[in-house]
Amino acid sequence: MMLDHDTRRKIESFLFAEARLLDAGDFEGWLDLYKPQGIYWMPSQPGQTDPLNVASIIYEDHAILSIRVQRLLEARALVLTPMPKTTHVLGNIEATDSGTDGITVEAAFICVEHRAENQKLYSGRHTYQLVPDDDSFRIKMKRVDLVGTGGAHTPMSILL
Amino acid sequence: MDHRIDQGVDHGMDHGVDHSAVSLTADDIRSLVRPDHVHRRAYADEAVFQLEQERIFGRLWIYVAHESQLKKPGDFIRTRLAHHEILVTRHNDGRIYVLQNRCPHRGARLCMVDQGSSRLFSCPYHAWVFRPDGSLSTVPHRKSYPDSFSVDDPQHHMMRIDKVESYRGFVFATLNPDPEPLAAQLGPMTDIIDNLVDRAPDGEVEIADSSFTLEYRGNWKLHLENAADVFHPSFVHSSSVGPARRAPANASILDSDQTREMLMANGFSVDDWERIQLTGLAGGHTFMTNIYTAGALVNDDTDPVAARYKAALAARLGAERAASVLGMNRFNNIIYPNLVLNAQHQQMRVTIPVAVDRTIVRVHCFRLKGAPDEMFHRAVRFLSTLGSPASMIFSDDVEMLERCQQGMAQNGGRDGEMWVDFSRGFDADRHAKSGEVSGAASEMPMRNQFRAWVDYMTAETA
Repeated sequence: MMLDHDTRRKIESFLFAEARLLDAGDFEGWLDLYKPQGIYWMPSQPGQTDPLNVASIIYEDHAILSIRVQRLLEARALVLTPMPKTTHVLGNIEATDSGTDGITVEAAFICVEHRAENQKLYSGRHTYQLVPDDDSFRIKMKRVDLVGTGGAHTPMSILL
Repeated sequence: MDHRIDQGVDHGMDHGVDHSAVSLTADDIRSLVRPDHVHRRAYADEAVFQLEQERIFGRLWIYVAHESQLKKPGDFIRTRLAHHEILVTRHNDGRIYVLQNRCPHRGARLCMVDQGSSRLFSCPYHAWVFRPDGSLSTVPHRKSYPDSFSVDDPQHHMMRIDKVESYRGFVFATLNPDPEPLAAQLGPMTDIIDNLVDRAPDGEVEIADSSFTLEYRGNWKLHLENAADVFHPSFVHSSSVGPARRAPANASILDSDQTREMLMANGFSVDDWERIQLTGLAGGHTFMTNIYTAGALVNDDTDPVAARYKAALAARLGAERAASVLGMNRFNNIIYPNLVLNAQHQQMRVTIPVAVDRTIVRVHCFRLKGAPDEMFHRAVRFLSTLGSPASMIFSDDVEMLERCQQGMAQNGGRDGEMWVDFSRGFDADRHAKSGEVSGAASEMPMRNQFRAWVDYMTAETA
C-alpha cells in the first residue's frame, strides 16, 4: 500500500537520525531505536534466507547487540584504538506498508570509515522492518546486505 | 565456463614475483632461531618467505579441500598450494585431481571463482577446453594446429599436481615428488581428525557451505602462534569479556546464550591458566586441553539437544565408545604447518600464506551427519562468533597480528636486531611420553613450532 507523504518524510527522518547517531558514536542511543526483541542481521551470502544453517557476519538480537555496543564504548577494544570515524550516507529510500509486519523500508547505503591512516569503504542495501512507536518508529529487524559478501574480508569494527 | 558461482574472491595472487632465487643457507636460517628467541627476519624478510614457500608449503602435505566439497563429478574448489593457485576437482571417474589454475596454451588464469561445478573448464582466450582431470578435450579449428599437435599430449593439459591423498575425507596435496606418507607427517594428530569424524552418528562429516575468508597484513606464522596462545585472551579480548560478564544471562532470544558464553570464555582466570595444559609434538604440532568446561559449549546432560545427540552417537558406537569419543576435550589442535581443528565444536581454520606480510585465513565448520540439526546450528553460531570479520574476538586478534608485523617490519639501527621473545615457561616445560607438556602460560607451543620450522627450512632435500 502506498504511504502518504507525511509518513515517508517521517521514515526518512528516522533513518537519517539513525545514521547521525552512528556517526556521532552514540551507540546506546542507536540501540534504543530497536524493539526489545529487535534483530540486526548482516548475512554472509547474497540472497541468504537462513540464519541458522548459514553463517552470518552478524546475526544478533537486542541482548547480544547490547554487548557489542558496550564493547564499542569500552576504551580498551583494540580495533577501536584509535576510534574509527564514520560517515553513513543513505539514499534511494523506498518504503511500503507491509500490513502486520509494519513498514518495510529499503535503502542503498555508503559508509566511509577512517581509522588511523586507513580508509575503508562499505556499500550495500539496508532492509528495515519498522513498527510505529508514538510519533516515530522502532526497528524490528534491520538487514544489511553488503556488496562484496562472499569475498575476502578484513576485520569490521563499526556498525553499518 | 558454465558453472554455479558460489563466491568470487581474488584470494591473493602474488603478482609478478619470480620465486626461484633463494640465497639463504641453512646456517642463515639456524642463526634466526635461538631456543627461546626468534629474529624478526623470520617474519619480515622476503627471502625467508620464499624459502618457506619452497621448503614448507612446497614440500609438506598441505590441506587443500574436504571431500564433501567435491560430491559429484565436475565439483571443484579453488585454493592455493605454495605459489600456485590450484583447482581441486572431482573427475568423471570419481577421482580427485589437483590442477594448476592456468591454461597451458598462453598461460591465462582459467577459473575465476572459489567454488562451483563444471564438467568442462574452458579458456576464454582461444577456447581450449579441459576436463576436470586437466586433460585437453577440444581446441577450435583443429586443422590450423601442426600435424604433431595432439590433444592427448600431456604438455597441452592443465598442469597436474600428482601427489594427492585423503585422510578420512580431508584432502592433502604436495608438490614434493618424493614425500613421506601423509599419515607419517600427520603423526599423532590423525587422532583429532578421527575424533571429529567419529563424533558424527552416521560416521561422516560434511563441511558447511558457508565459511569466512579473512585477510590480514601480517605473516602466516603469527596466526598459528596466536591459535596456540592461551595467555593473550585475558588482555586482547578484555573489551568483549567485560561487557559479556556484565550482561544478564539468557537474555538473548536467538542462541541460548551461546554467544555471551563464548565471549566470557575468553576471560581466563589464574585458575584456568593452572587447569589448561598445552602439548607440543614432533613436527610442530600442538594442542591444548580443558579450555571450555562450562556452559552451552560442553554438551552437558541437562541439555536436551546434547542428550539426543549423545543417544544417537551411542546407538552407533555403543555407550562406552561414544563417551570416550566425546571425552576428548582438546582445543585448537594445530596440524603443522597450517590447519587448526576444533573437533568438539566442529571448527576448522586454514592459514594460507600469500606474501611475507599478507595471509588469508579460511574459517569453516562441519555438520556431523546424523546429529540433531541444532548441533549444526551451534557450529554455525560458533563460526560466526569467532570467525566472522565482525567477530568481537577475532577482529582484535587480527589487530594484534598486524601490529606485530608493523613493528617487526621496522629495519633500521637497533630495530634491525630485534628478537621476538618466546621465553615464558622455558624453564618449566616437561617432557612426557605424549610429547612436550606445559602449563597454559608457557610459550612452549611457539618454541615447538619453530623447532619444526628450522628442521624443514634447513633440510636440503625433501
